Amino acid sequence: MKKLVPLILLSILIITSIFFFEDTDSRYEKLSKSILCPVCQGETLFDSPSEYADDMRIVLREQIDNGLSDKQIMDYWSSRFGDRINTNPQNENLILIIFPLFLGFIFFILFYRKIKE
Amino acid sequence: MISSVGILITWLAFLNLLVILLINKKDLYQLLVRINLFLHFLLFCILEIALFLDDFSLNYIANYSASSTPPLYKFASLWGSLDGSILLWNLVLSFYFYLYIKIYKKNNELYDIKIFSLIIIFFNGFTIFSSSPFAGCIQLASVGCADFTLLPFQNLVESLSGRGPNPLLQNHPLMAIHPPMLYIGYVGLVLPFVIATSELINKNKNEEWIKIAEKSTYMPWVFLTAGISLGAAWSYEVLGWGGYWAWDPVENVSFIPWLLATAFLHSAKTQIKEFTLLNWNYALSCLMFLSVIFGTFITRSGVLISVHAFSNGNIGTYLIIGLTFFTLLFLIIGIKNIEYFQSSSKVTNFFGRTGFFVANNLLLAGSAIVVFIGTIYPLFYETIYSKQITIGRSFYDILVGPILLLLIYLMIFSTKITKNNLKITSWLEENYFEINLSIILSIIFTFFFRSSFKFAITVLGSILLVVIIGKNILNKAKKTKLQGSYWTGQIAHLGIGIFAIGLIMNVSQSYSSELIISSGDTIQFGNQEFNILNPNEVQKNEKNVINLPIQKNNTTKNASLNIFKNSTQQAISSPAVFRNVESDTYITIKVIDDNNFKLIFRKNYGIFIIWLGLAISSLSFISRLKR
Repeated sequence: MKKLVPLILLSILIITSIFFFEDTDSRYEKLSKSILCPVCQGETLFDSPSEYADDMRIVLREQIDNGLSDKQIMDYWSSRFGDRINTNPQNENLILIIFPLFLGFIFFILFYRKIKE
Repeated sequence: MISSVGILITWLAFLNLLVILLINKKDLYQLLVRINLFLHFLLFCILEIALFLDDFSLNYIANYSASSTPPLYKFASLWGSLDGSILLWNLVLSFYFYLYIKIYKKNNELYDIKIFSLIIIFFNGFTIFSSSPFAGCIQLASVGCADFTLLPFQNLVESLSGRGPNPLLQNHPLMAIHPPMLYIGYVGLVLPFVIATSELINKNKNEEWIKIAEKSTYMPWVFLTAGISLGAAWSYEVLGWGGYWAWDPVENVSFIPWLLATAFLHSAKTQIKEFTLLNWNYALSCLMFLSVIFGTFITRSGVLISVHAFSNGNIGTYLIIGLTFFTLLFLIIGIKNIEYFQSSSKVTNFFGRTGFFVANNLLLAGSAIVVFIGTIYPLFYETIYSKQITIGRSFYDILVGPILLLLIYLMIFSTKITKNNLKITSWLEENYFEINLSIILSIIFTFFFRSSFKFAITVLGSILLVVIIGKNILNKAKKTKLQGSYWTGQIAHLGIGIFAIGLIMNVSQSYSSELIISSGDTIQFGNQEFNILNPNEVQKNEKNVINLPIQKNNTTKNASLNIFKNSTQQAISSPAVFRNVESDTYITIKVIDDNNFKLIFRKNYGIFIIWLGLAISSLSFISRLKR
């Protein structure tokens, strides 16, 4: 019985997180956070206070209102400002994710073999 | 005049350092190291005096200060750009040289003095051969200075007024504190490098070296933590985007040494107590400093774009030579000591101290590697494909996020780390009440903040960490004085737990909305009412400020736009922040259009808790101070 209490509580926690989860980021926020402001120094459209970014945000809102898909919107901006405008390059550059994971895997194997010794 | 004096004293300091490097008299270097500190302090003072006297015959002052700059920012202009910041860098380095012979030097050998003086010669040499804040102006630009000379006693030309500092750097007083703090931390990592390399060159090895190296890392660590935290606070208060960390390259290269230093502070303990991981400790103690030079190279050579980058033609080549040289020194000394490293004891207790510390080190070094890859990948990509690429927040979220989660769960066990393996069942029984309490608190948190599954799991770890360490500190504080490195660790971990809770509140629940208003309007945002009053304009010497007073209940705060006279750049927006323990309302002006203002309202949760956690971690050193 004593062991059951934390397990029950834990499952309540998991259920709460699944059923009550609410994503506060609107589609506009998600997209404006993944597009770089081309005239600023390393800031996204969402963050940048510049007027240029403001104009771009207006265009982005129109695109969302017109029902363009995420891919269409990203393609539009990339074609005008180059790929560097996309702040999520890991989707096209999987090596970025795979290489560190591979390193981690090797470390883990070495570590595991030491434990077995 | 000041230019010539400054250049001559720089040469004098350089000669003095050469003498320290070349002589073999053991009784003399004490004096020369003091002279070196004095000369660098003098250089610092002379540049400050020149800044306050508005001596625009100096290239640096003509380009990075102006007569209209307010005194505080004149003072801070010394580190407002590359040449001046190298001067501060050298002063800090000289201070550490003095501190080293005063506190940490335990043997009679001279290797450490040689290596240390070589490092300062390297950085001092930059101000002699490449560019110096004392360089005189020989050709004027329309504003400021166009060309300079590194020789003394030349015919200099003086502009009427200077160009003034970068607007971002004269908008908040934290600018006067954040960079020196960060430098004291950053440059301080030279100490473990000098100690490790000089002790291992030595044939009569001093087994105490790891203890001294660990002690010497602690102070830089505290300053680095405080410096990074203040930088985050500055970013929140000044940049007007409501955030505090952007994974900007310069932030990254201050974070990599922090991760390595944190790893070293843990792994050094395994060598001190159990004589394990000798090679790893040697590598870490050197890599901290090498990552500092690398970071300076990345951010000061103009190869990357960032808010902090000041580019300058040849410092890149200069730094890469230094980096190669010191890396070779590290490798050669390492290879010569292979036998010593092999005398290391075997790791046996994988669920005891060593095991926990090995896991902690793998995770911290792992995140350092991820941050490193994220920082340099754009460089490689551009070289290979001739196209630019940007690595943003989501990359780090994917890879660093899970590592931090594991670290939080590891820290929970830090109250009971001993040589012997931890018995997990008895640990669970001992903390039965705390575990249940933490899960209940996490359920409430998750419900209230509508967190996702991954945040729920993270917050459970963070609350467990705070509850268990909090209880441990309260219990034992009554019986014993909280002194020694164990308590430093406990307090630092408590701070990180609190920080993590704030961070999750911030990322899982903050929201914003963009509103176009005119004065007299009342705005409803997040169940609160804000009255917009009439704007006013203030003329100052260096800038015009448009203030928009915003009233909530009885408090009024200004959201303002600063238009700097020396800059053609866009105006800088200062936020009005209504602070609360659980959330801030953060209001910035985006655009002014006749009488209409476009405002961004942000609800930022957990900011106070984030600062509280960081402050507790930074202050953890108090328990180390002897009475």
